[in-house]
Amino acid sequence: MNKTKLALALSALGLALAAPAQADPLKIALVETLSGPQASTGLMYRAAVKYQLANLNEAGGWNGEPIQIAEYDNQGGPAGASDKVKAAIAEGARVIIQGSSSAVSGQITEDVRKYNLRNPGKEVLFLNMGGEALELTGDKCHFYHFRFTTNAPIRVKTLVIAMKEAGDLGTKVYSMNQNYSWGNDMDKSIKAFAKQGGYTVVESTLHDVNKIQDFSPYVSKIKASGAETVLTGNWSNDLLLLMKATRAAGLKVRFGTVFLDQVGNLANAGDTAVGHYIAHAFNIQAGDEAAKFGEDYKAKTGHYPTFIEPQTVFGMRMLGEALKQTKPEDGKINITEVARNLEKVKITTPMGEQHMRAEDHQVVLPIVVSKVTKDAKYKVDGTDMGFDIVKRFTGEEAVNPVEATCKMKRPA
Amino acid sequence: MEFFTVSLLNGTIYGLLLFMVSAGLTLIFGMMGVLNFAHTSFYMVGAYLAYSLQEVVGFWPAIIISPLIVGVLGAVVERYMLRRVHQYGHGHQLLLTFGLSFIIAEVIKLFYGNYPVDYRIPESLRFSAFDVFGANYPFYRLLIGGTSLLMFALIYLLLTKTRVGIVVRSAIYRPRMVEALGHNVPMVFMGVFAVGAALAGLAGAVAGAFYTTNPNMAIELGVLVFVVVVVGGLGSLEGAMVASLLIGLISSFSVGIDYSLADLFGLMGAREWAEGVGGLLTLKLSSLAATIPFLLMLLVLLFRPSGLMGTRE
Repeated sequence: MNKTKLALALSALGLALAAPAQADPLKIALVETLSGPQASTGLMYRAAVKYQLANLNEAGGWNGEPIQIAEYDNQGGPAGASDKVKAAIAEGARVIIQGSSSAVSGQITEDVRKYNLRNPGKEVLFLNMGGEALELTGDKCHFYHFRFTTNAPIRVKTLVIAMKEAGDLGTKVYSMNQNYSWGNDMDKSIKAFAKQGGYTVVESTLHDVNKIQDFSPYVSKIKASGAETVLTGNWSNDLLLLMKATRAAGLKVRFGTVFLDQVGNLANAGDTAVGHYIAHAFNIQAGDEAAKFGEDYKAKTGHYPTFIEPQTVFGMRMLGEALKQTKPEDGKINITEVARNLEKVKITTPMGEQHMRAEDHQVVLPIVVSKVTKDAKYKVDGTDMGFDIVKRFTGEEAVNPVEATCKMKRPA
Repeated sequence: MEFFTVSLLNGTIYGLLLFMVSAGLTLIFGMMGVLNFAHTSFYMVGAYLAYSLQEVVGFWPAIIISPLIVGVLGAVVERYMLRRVHQYGHGHQLLLTFGLSFIIAEVIKLFYGNYPVDYRIPESLRFSAFDVFGANYPFYRLLIGGTSLLMFALIYLLLTKTRVGIVVRSAIYRPRMVEALGHNVPMVFMGVFAVGAALAGLAGAVAGAFYTTNPNMAIELGVLVFVVVVVGGLGSLEGAMVASLLIGLISSFSVGIDYSLADLFGLMGAREWAEGVGGLLTLKLSSLAATIPFLLMLLVLLFRPSGLMGTRE
């Protein structure tokens, strides 16, 4: 009984304290993998989101109040994410941010879509910073989902064009990918761009995700296929172990990768990495603006922006622009307006112009293809290697056509 | 022929590595009945310690010192933690080691960060032992295999041919009798646990440089090591060896086999139907390579619950 009374008293007190506030501050929820084996990536998303959010709040936040952010640990899985999304919405979050793992993004985007259907007028926005699976802007696309990163066709297209022009692609390509939505997308794209790239896919492998310790059997497969280049969407250990095993077998083959700039990769791969390619959203050597951004990021977070951080910062900048265009209605935010404005936002990042494609909410993001060299100005991971720019693509050049399966219902 | 030889070599060496890690686990279980969930954590600690030490004392001393430290750590865990919960039974020991594995992982992250550390094979060992069909075969892989074989021989001889071995083996079956004969049984158990942990540490120190040394390496290997011990028979050293080699070879060979169920149906003239159905029927064996050991474990548990060479169920 006493407990109930206490709870009542406390909640009354809470109401009394909350009531005088004029406007509701905008609440953002970061639903990321903050513990467990994949936490390293989740923590990078957090660093990037917080970095840019601090900038937004310095510039006045929204409606005269600083934007609030709450962190939720999804523990790396869709089930955990689904719970945390519910909790976040219950606690008043109107914008949900997530990045690591397409599987989790897929869960959140569905949850958000359903919630918005059932709660008109209280919509929630999902900003996808890193889920690259094609279906998220394909048959799962909806009006309140925005993707601020690339997808497999974008990465493969830019890699293939740049490597071909540099004469490093060869005519025999091995497609090595992980057996889940992202790896399947990569595999399909690598086969789809064969004609444009003038190569044949001599062999393709889909293997278990982050379960394999010994990649030497795969390396003998690569050797047997006679491939000159391995195109792979592998990340984390699957990329590292693959490169290490290739080196150990003394096999001379070039890698075209997507996630080579993950922290620790170059240091661990050693000299093996020299000459390998990567298609990514940011290279600090892309001019004065890029260097300035890089230094500022380092000053605030302790390291240069890399891997998934730049795209996340740029995505948060777009959110900031959209919020600027959105006026409060009775001190409250209209999320549908934010989404509409987000479609119109154009920003200029250190890499070039970036905007959101209204048809499927895929960001049109400039891409740079880089090569690992020892001459690079900015060294990575305390090694003598870094990423030198090979070719730059504007967002329009890089982006893939809208998926035919995306049937977006726009609010009236 | 090329495929066969290369797969055989790769599979054997990988199997031997698995044995190095699982030997300690099966030893501890066989002797003490403790299912040690933190076992691969010792493997991870061994790798990280070797990484730190090699910068100071060089590669070879690091490989030797690191397992010794891990052994001491194992002794401490047994003496001050496991022994206290021993009276409450297996459940508590299991939970304790389970919790310990999390704590070790977090402590490692605290000191070394979330990313793989730069632990690599020294340049002097980075040469090829011989060529197989035009590809270099790294010497270091042979070193891993050799270490493992040496370890197997030593433990085997120690347990079967020495006085210490006799005391240890009898302490398992008749601890009270052994105690009555004047041997310090708790001390024997602590020793066994320390040796088991040190073996895992040695495996980590050797393999961490070849693969990667990262905060997830305990989890990555953890499940597989349990599969080895279950397939081989809980507590059986020879069983662990056979199971390790078996699993190493299976994962190595299955990578190169691109057959699917559709091919099987093809033999019966129903290939087109099977390919039309797709899904499971067109899934290649090679994309399941890492899952096959678990299938093996399932079969063993169904048809021979004591494991290939185990004696207890």
